Amino acid sequence: MKLAWQNIIHDRARFSVTVLGVSFAVFLMVFQGSLLAGFLQAASRLIDASDSDIWITARGVQAFEFGTPIEGRVREMAAGVPGVLETSRVCMAFAVYRTPNGKQQVVALVGADSNVGRRFPVPNAPGLAEGMSPDAVLYDVSDRDLIQVTAMPAEVEVNRHRARIERQIDGYGAFLGVPFLFTSYRNAIRYMGFGPEEAMYILLRVDKAYSISDVQQNLRQRLPEVDVLTRDEFERKSRTYWTIKTGAGGAILTAAVLGFLIGLVVVSQTVYANTMENIEEYATLKALGASQTFVARIVLTQALICGVLGSVLGLLAVVPCIGYAKSLIPWIYTPWWLLLVMVLPSLAMCSLASIASVRSALTVEPGRVFRA
Amino acid sequence: MPNHFLGVEGASVSFGKRDAQVRALRGVSQFFERGTLSLVMGPSGSGKTTLLSLLGCLLSPDEGTVFVDGVAVNGLSEAERTAVRQKKISFVFQAFRLFHSLSAIDNVALGFELRDPALPGRMELARDLLVRFGLGEKLNQEPYELSPGEKQRVAIARALAGNPPILLADEPTASLDAQAGRSICQLLRSQVDDDGRTVVVVTHDPRWQEFADRTINLCDGQIEQEEKNS
Repeated sequence: MKLAWQNIIHDRARFSVTVLGVSFAVFLMVFQGSLLAGFLQAASRLIDASDSDIWITARGVQAFEFGTPIEGRVREMAAGVPGVLETSRVCMAFAVYRTPNGKQQVVALVGADSNVGRRFPVPNAPGLAEGMSPDAVLYDVSDRDLIQVTAMPAEVEVNRHRARIERQIDGYGAFLGVPFLFTSYRNAIRYMGFGPEEAMYILLRVDKAYSISDVQQNLRQRLPEVDVLTRDEFERKSRTYWTIKTGAGGAILTAAVLGFLIGLVVVSQTVYANTMENIEEYATLKALGASQTFVARIVLTQALICGVLGSVLGLLAVVPCIGYAKSLIPWIYTPWWLLLVMVLPSLAMCSLASIASVRSALTVEPGRVFRA
Repeated sequence: MPNHFLGVEGASVSFGKRDAQVRALRGVSQFFERGTLSLVMGPSGSGKTTLLSLLGCLLSPDEGTVFVDGVAVNGLSEAERTAVRQKKISFVFQAFRLFHSLSAIDNVALGFELRDPALPGRMELARDLLVRFGLGEKLNQEPYELSPGEKQRVAIARALAGNPPILLADEPTASLDAQAGRSICQLLRSQVDDDGRTVVVVTHDPRWQEFADRTINLCDGQIEQEEKNS
């Protein structure tokens, strides 16, 4: 396959254009893939952070960010269902935050009971509580500019109530364009003006001796006025809402597909031009006894070499760019497998791009070798 | 009973359709003995290259039979005819047709690879062949760095890679000066004398006469004259 390699590097300008085309496509696909992965993750991050098996929400709630209050008796009734081991409450509402220097900012205030889950960012959660008052408020480091706290603890206001920002956390940055603030459930309902019996989400942990779906069915029968979802169901529902129903996921996917198509066109054109330029050599190869497989392999190898090099270049470029993008889009997320998986579409893209070229090389008449 | 090692029997070939049809060969029967160098001469359009294409399994006749190594190859599939070319036939062209991106040694090594993809030591074999042809100093030069005579020597080395018994040459000296042309004539003659190869040369070049065993003259797709050279 030395011929394949030599053919493509012989015309360095064209080779560079092809590799750049592939790397651009890979860059775009990985970047858009990271946006999509991050978007999906952010869309259900707080649901995933809970340790609960079942979420009870008001009827028709599409995503965590759009919860509405439900009656407090729902929690009591749920707690009485066989198999329910523990209940906890989560609430979320938009609130007005006043920075230490008096500037106002809309925030998404999240409150939760301390037993909601080890990863859930509430100040009274086990592991986080040390050194903090039970009513402390937390914010994500990526929202520092919006929160405008220079030193902690900082006295601020949330919905005209005094609040105390005591710590910054990481990984729960603004998703809706407004920063999240996290506090205890008791504190949150005070800021939001909810009654002590009201709840927005009731989370249940199920005894391992019971089947989660059985408990879910039982709850649905007893509580027909609310939605009873497993954590996975609510996670999917939330993700589906943000990615499909809002069209945001479609827009991101479209950009990724466009990246693929741009790469496909660039590679097709250059590989085809290269093949047609060397078409007489393919005729010579066939006259000298090269099989169709041998000829096809040369064209395909050329395309795949461009695919591999373009992918490596694209990946080398996209990783630092995503690192930089994190400062602007905190929820962007690149799973390690995405980098590997994206090599496959780029190779598929190059293989697809070589179809026309392979066809031309295979159909060239070896008899034309005698034409001077 | 003619020697059916290489040849055509009653071969007719036409190109084009209806009014534009051209009959390139008209019922030609001609056989080439093993271990001989034959010239095919004649004016342009007389059917020389068409005959060479038939002998090289690059074209099938409309009528008649083509024999290669004693086997009728008409009925063979494209893949089978490719296999016949791979094992038995090699070509030398007027325009050399070297692979432009490969060095001289890589061109010849590719010739070995095409004949036998599993053959070990292809580079060494290619080097030996080029050294034998006086190109030991030009092994790593690309075609554009070689003179026409050197290019044709590389092309012949590539053609001989894998030791095919039949060598078909189309105007191999047409692009060369007198000295280089004579050297190519000698080189191909030595393939007959030293290695017993069967060489068929299509040419307009009268210099070939002294190196050939016989000359066949074609005119209007038919054999006009056949003479044995002394």
